[in-house]
Amino acid sequence: MAGDALTGLKVVELATMVAGPYCAKMLADMGADVIKVEPPEGDPARQVGPFPKSGPHPEHSALFLYNNTSKRGITLNIDTAEGLNALKRLIKWANVLIDGLPFQRLENLGLSWEAISGLNPSLIYTSITPYGRTGPRADVKGDELALIHAGSLGNLLPTRAENIDRPPIKTEGYFVGYHGGLSAALATVGAALGQCKTGKGRLIDISLQETIVSLMRPNIAGNRYHHTNWSRVPDRPPAMGRMETKDGYIVIGTPEDHHFKAFRELMGNPEWIAGKEWETLAYRSHHLMDVTTKLDDWMRQQSKHDIHHRAAKMGIAVGPINSAPEVVSDEQFIYRNYFIEVEHPEAGKHKYAGWPYKLSATPPRVYRPAPLLGQHNREVFCDELGYSAEEFEQLQHTGVV
Amino acid sequence: MENNPLPLKGIRVADFCWVYAGPYCGMLLGCLGAEVIKVEGHRRTDLLRHIVTWPLADPAPTPVPPNQGMAFNSLNMNKKSLTLDLTKPEGVAIAKKLVAVSDIVADNMRAGSMARMGMGYDELRKIKSDIIVLSLSSRGQQGPQKDYAGYASIHHAIGGGAYVTGYPDDHPCHNMGDVDLMNSNTAAFAIVAALYHREKTGEGQFIDCSQVEGVTSLIGELMLGYEMNGQIPERMGNAHPQYAPHNVYQCWGVDRWIALEVHSDEEFAVLAQVIGQPELAADARFADMASRKKNEAELDRIIEEWTRQRDRDWLANEFCRAGLAAAPSRNGEDIYADPHLRAREVFVTVDHPELGELELLGTPWKMSGDEVQLQHAPLLGEHNDYVLRELLGLSDAEVNDLRQKDVIL
Repeated sequence: MAGDALTGLKVVELATMVAGPYCAKMLADMGADVIKVEPPEGDPARQVGPFPKSGPHPEHSALFLYNNTSKRGITLNIDTAEGLNALKRLIKWANVLIDGLPFQRLENLGLSWEAISGLNPSLIYTSITPYGRTGPRADVKGDELALIHAGSLGNLLPTRAENIDRPPIKTEGYFVGYHGGLSAALATVGAALGQCKTGKGRLIDISLQETIVSLMRPNIAGNRYHHTNWSRVPDRPPAMGRMETKDGYIVIGTPEDHHFKAFRELMGNPEWIAGKEWETLAYRSHHLMDVTTKLDDWMRQQSKHDIHHRAAKMGIAVGPINSAPEVVSDEQFIYRNYFIEVEHPEAGKHKYAGWPYKLSATPPRVYRPAPLLGQHNREVFCDELGYSAEEFEQLQHTGVV
Repeated sequence: MENNPLPLKGIRVADFCWVYAGPYCGMLLGCLGAEVIKVEGHRRTDLLRHIVTWPLADPAPTPVPPNQGMAFNSLNMNKKSLTLDLTKPEGVAIAKKLVAVSDIVADNMRAGSMARMGMGYDELRKIKSDIIVLSLSSRGQQGPQKDYAGYASIHHAIGGGAYVTGYPDDHPCHNMGDVDLMNSNTAAFAIVAALYHREKTGEGQFIDCSQVEGVTSLIGELMLGYEMNGQIPERMGNAHPQYAPHNVYQCWGVDRWIALEVHSDEEFAVLAQVIGQPELAADARFADMASRKKNEAELDRIIEEWTRQRDRDWLANEFCRAGLAAAPSRNGEDIYADPHLRAREVFVTVDHPELGELELLGTPWKMSGDEVQLQHAPLLGEHNDYVLRELLGLSDAEVNDLRQKDVIL
């Protein structure tokens, strides 16, 4: 029996850019009914690329198109009395409200958690902010770069750096936004399960800083209780890990003795690591550096994808550092049909990244492409919220939608 | 406060996971209220129980006594521990009994390992028809690379994250354990979605989760951008395609850094004021976003000249008070010392039977209603009695027999 995991879950998204929209996309691609509320000028993600060669266009942004699949979209000026009233009707309609705006934004409109809960006592209200809704930094701004460092992940990058005088960096793209959205989606659907049973609502306070800090929990605890080193420049020279081949980089690990033996065999058992002593971790930890130049020289003669397959087939944990085109053409991604074709009325037909989970009974899918700006205004206001045709035209006339 | 029980109260998880990605998935379900029973062989335990995660303060990996590895203790809170030797048929028989009283089964072994032990999804659904089974593997359950091994850095590499992380003029950068814990969230999300479906329909299912793909799904805009315009996304260090300044600047002292990002002309005028050079806002080189981006190197030099003579935390305070997005590049000690995280009670203190009080990170979210009371990660076999006798109803003789056959600790 095929089905949709989150059928019947009604979600209002009041969010821009990545964290809130990605959270809502995860729900929407699982079958939730998501209404995305954009300001009249649109989610700023529409102005941010990447764009096709034809250049910037609000319906062509890859950032917007990817993060807003399977949703219906409306525009609403919540700073007008009628707009605020419409938002309240949406809140009453919904099971879940995903608020990615600064939480003060709704509070200043009279929509504190208490007020929201008064409108809809069973609502799950997921509020995603840089530092959370409480505490001394509740009013502080934060975005990708500040938060990846606030959360301590950035401080350890680049991993195994060689130069302490170069700054620590951020990780790829919008990692904070995406991971924050992922964390919020987990908490939200978890809470929705409780809602099914009790009919009671909840406030979920997602601090993006804390979602990053949480990824560092083993490092943070180890640093305090085991006194482990904390630095992007390791306290002894690295051996293995990232290695350069003649056509790019790989990551390879031979932590256990049998991995090392397999790697040695892969290299054709060179005499300089032939001794029995190399088969123990303690010896390697002290001496692998002595032969690093030789290891590196050997690896620079290999080709990235060839060595990946050869090493992997010998049981060694290994992988190529893939660029976007290499990911797209990877046999495993192709076999698993990871990329999916989505046709958008303005942006055209393209392959989108899919989902890392395959659910046998309720596979995720793209129900519809990202909405055009205001595409579902009439449908949502008239069919879902019960506005009459005249009332709706009035809203349009006064610029509320 | 209000009486609103934890949402996964009454849900039981049989957790066959080990090391990073799998165990933290179980802990996250525990944070939502599930009862999580961690199953390990007492002769092949979760290896994090007794190692210190690299990098170490010692020249060689230091083994610590079992139960005392800190990565283990921070990723397995609120679980119960059952030891079972799954290489023995008696062990598998007990595991199946546990599945019969569970709602979720999770493993992160190599693809097909559970099936080889007679515990594949098709077998388990015969024991409990609405069971939800999650297998979290490196590259997924099927396909030409299903048997390839991997860990966090490797998934980050294959999935496309590492290629775009790093300085623009230098090598790519693989992240570490954080990639695994991100994927724990992915797996736990898939599980709660499947639970939601089961709640409505009574139907269970199998979830095949790939950690490599977990990385790629978080660079969706880069993948789609490449697909649309054919340009390969490259490394950008701390830079942003449009915003400037957008960098991490050196502060007074050794290896002290502050992250600062400016998103508008208004914010730039504020920054110019804070650093005592208000004239910069009117300077033609920096007057709007496009010109700041064009002259970013010069702008970075001006800002860093100012920051490197000043204290990092003082700077963060000045910038944030003025309404800018700035943060110290924090290390582990800074996280423990952060008054904001303290005020939000982000840490919990657990009483560990061997180590005493440990202050560890609690749930990654704050939720109204009943709060989860996080307990220390279980000692090996700490709950054998509870699981075997209370939950599965084994007699003293049966438990003794298992112990004699070395199936349990």
